[in-house]
Amino acid sequence: MSELKHLKKEWKAIMSCMNCGDCGFAIRPVVGRYLTCPVLEAKEEEGFEIYFSRGRMNVLKSILEGQIPLSRELAEWVYQCSECGNCTEVCHMSQNPYIVLPTSNWIDHVKVWEALRKDLVEAGFAPLDRHGDLIEYMNDDNMKNPYGEDKDKKFDWINEFPEIKEKGDLMFFGGCTMPLRQVETLKSMMKILKAAEIEIAMSKDEWCCGSIAIRIGDEKSITEMIEHNIDEFKNKGAKTLFTACAGCYRTWKKDYPELLGYELPFEVKHITEILVELINNNKIPFKEEMERVKVTYHDPCHLGRHMNLYEIPREVLSKIPGIELVEMKRNKNNAWCCGAGGGVKSQFSELALKISQERIKEAVESGAQILTTSCPFCIGNLSDAYEEMDLEIKEKIKVIDIIDLISSKL
Amino acid sequence: MPELYQKLERIVSKNRISNDLYVRHAYSRNVTSNLQGVPDIVIRPKDTQEISEILKIANEENIAVIPRGGGDCEFGGSKPIGDTGIVLDLKSMNKVLNLDTDNLIVTIEAGISWSKLNDYLCHFGLYTGCMGPGSGLTSSVGGGLSHHSVGGGGCAKYGPCTNQLISLEVVLATGEIIETGCQANKYSKLPFNRFGNGPDLAALFCGDNGIYGVKTKVSLQVFPKPEFADYKTFLMPRNSMEISAQMMSEIRQKGIDVYDTMYFMDLIVSIGIQYGMFPMWEHLKRKRGVIFYTVEANSETELKAKVAQLDKIMLSKKAEEFGPEISDGNIAKWHYEEQGHWLIAHNLWGLVPGFDPVDAECHVPINAYPKIMKDLDQWDMEHSEDMQKILEITGMRPITGTGPIILTEGNNVELTCGFTSFPSYYNGEKHENIKEINVKLWKSLLERLVKQGAMFYMFGDILSRHMVDIQGYQKGYYELMRKIKDAIDPKHILSRGKYNFWGTKRK
Repeated sequence: MSELKHLKKEWKAIMSCMNCGDCGFAIRPVVGRYLTCPVLEAKEEEGFEIYFSRGRMNVLKSILEGQIPLSRELAEWVYQCSECGNCTEVCHMSQNPYIVLPTSNWIDHVKVWEALRKDLVEAGFAPLDRHGDLIEYMNDDNMKNPYGEDKDKKFDWINEFPEIKEKGDLMFFGGCTMPLRQVETLKSMMKILKAAEIEIAMSKDEWCCGSIAIRIGDEKSITEMIEHNIDEFKNKGAKTLFTACAGCYRTWKKDYPELLGYELPFEVKHITEILVELINNNKIPFKEEMERVKVTYHDPCHLGRHMNLYEIPREVLSKIPGIELVEMKRNKNNAWCCGAGGGVKSQFSELALKISQERIKEAVESGAQILTTSCPFCIGNLSDAYEEMDLEIKEKIKVIDIIDLISSKL
Repeated sequence: MPELYQKLERIVSKNRISNDLYVRHAYSRNVTSNLQGVPDIVIRPKDTQEISEILKIANEENIAVIPRGGGDCEFGGSKPIGDTGIVLDLKSMNKVLNLDTDNLIVTIEAGISWSKLNDYLCHFGLYTGCMGPGSGLTSSVGGGLSHHSVGGGGCAKYGPCTNQLISLEVVLATGEIIETGCQANKYSKLPFNRFGNGPDLAALFCGDNGIYGVKTKVSLQVFPKPEFADYKTFLMPRNSMEISAQMMSEIRQKGIDVYDTMYFMDLIVSIGIQYGMFPMWEHLKRKRGVIFYTVEANSETELKAKVAQLDKIMLSKKAEEFGPEISDGNIAKWHYEEQGHWLIAHNLWGLVPGFDPVDAECHVPINAYPKIMKDLDQWDMEHSEDMQKILEITGMRPITGTGPIILTEGNNVELTCGFTSFPSYYNGEKHENIKEINVKLWKSLLERLVKQGAMFYMFGDILSRHMVDIQGYQKGYYELMRKIKDAIDPKHILSRGKYNFWGTKRK
């Protein structure tokens, strides 16, 4: 039997689960709650309770009590979770500040799932196959990214932008997904920043932020990675580090200080926080728009539920000429996950796509013509799902990164 | 077992059956940490016919079957008694089949939750009246009917959810499918009436705790949601328990069709404030009990008249009205306007990590509950030694009391009483004796309430058997229950072990 080192630390949360099941089934329209677990819903007929929080908590109780062991088989269940945190949002939540249902103080589901994953890794039952590849690539000195690409390839796009400096107060952390898979969005970002006359710097030796390792629970090389990244930006004089990736943002702003036990020597911002300042200071010269388009915003879990950053992206969108912001039925803390996170996209791609298709249909129901978001991982999964959808859907809506959307209005 | 599994798999397809160790443990508990039973197999049937086929095979193989709706039983009723049997997870049978808008009758699959059903109905200006149990966000309509559920809103006006039942489709343990009421007439097209075509056989399955059949299809009377409503909360004077009972009695005596009335005892208010549960009441100098009402009407005039009557009852007994907003302390507004009615029981949970309410909720007459609650104080003192043992491990002595006391139909309340404890796994270590003490105290408390004449409706694993063990039933009544069980479920397949039927059968 494994030591269960990490799970034991989460006993308060596990033993505080009362088994009410609202993490699977709650519908509370008054607060915008329409079900909770994207995996459970996507599983449809095979939606056994092990696919959502209540069932998993029951399994964890049995594990902590020594009734059943960790195993590879368990890992196959456990990693079918995008760690979106929607279960925490419904768990004993009064949704009113004057009434506190106290269990909400003890249960942070994502922390529990991550503890379980760490114990599975340490017991040798994880990472799963594809996750193992990602970790290996990320730790490979010639790569340092989970895509298995050559280390230098991440910085190819910079060649087009000689104005990007090597040092500066405001430094951009590019992450892996955008530089390796969504370069056009980075070019859009540079177009916006150039128009706003903002200078940025970048390091050509940044490594993967390590998000994938943290989410999968395989953190053996994470300290070296974190220290390298922090030193790299600190030594180049960063006062503010910003990123366009919701996953990198959460990792830098929340995980790094938690793992290190101290605050970072610079501020960390998401690009929407930079953009809103530029818009509010009239630094972005939008062109006049005669035609109005309806846009809906998908809250990335790593930005919304994990970091409570809901309003800023909406403020950005609401101030773009010609855009009418409409909300999906489930938004902000109730938002339906895109299905990509927690390693689901890489290991269980069909599941991730199914969840994203549900989200796209919801966007269509909102009447929006554009579904936008501020996370390259969400964009990637939503776009992949979109490609597989019927023409009828494609005629109604497009999926566009918020950066590309702004850039198109210049 | 492999052969049985293959037979069952042929009925439901491999995606909807599992004997995986982890899946089985996922279904091994309900809303209590003190009771566990790990099934051999879990099945998610998609329709009535599949359930019928499953039960026929279970009969052939003599294996127990445990129907499970939302899984919210506080007495361990929707998990196996012992580590055995098949759990039938009915949550995927959750469709609305028909809404008869002329006759206001909805027909649904029994696995639908109260919250999903009411979300559907609200688009037509309708609701179920009684909103099911307090766990209605998740719990199923079938489960509610199996327990005469109340407490999730509206039970003062509409009574238990079984009041609204029009007809049922039930699969008997032997696999036969029957329909009740008007649907017993094979020519009846749509459900419209429960009472006729012979005895009210639907009633046999109402409150049956899953022992007589598997509910698969339900027709319920639904109601137009009144356009007007008001809700007020009051701080009680001294002796608030007795006075709250007087208030509820007076509401009934004056014939006011209040939608909900709930009383929170002094202890809940003071502890709740101490632990940060009720920021809206933190300003209170006198931390006494609180009572609230919600009332509905079809016109403003009607509403005003009802509110005036209710206010007179409250204020004449020196209760002090809170302001109209939730921030002013008006929990009734949260309860009615923000669907807090399905979360009211959650107030009692999780006061500290692992906090585990051991439940003994029951119905008693309005005028009896102050005396019963005093007796529970006495019971608490009599069990100080055991409670001290919990304190020594967890640093917190159990608290005996009641959550909201809820006015139900007639001159009754639902007493959501019990005591608090902890799970046996506490602070990183397993303390098996906590579970032993919990179960011992639990049985003692249930016995005390039974002997006070309380009427239980949710029996589950522990109470159904304990009620028999302490000879709480009238002999003739219990024998009739058993004979019916023998007649319609001769091998005691369904919910095997409840009410000790299986034990008596084997003897």
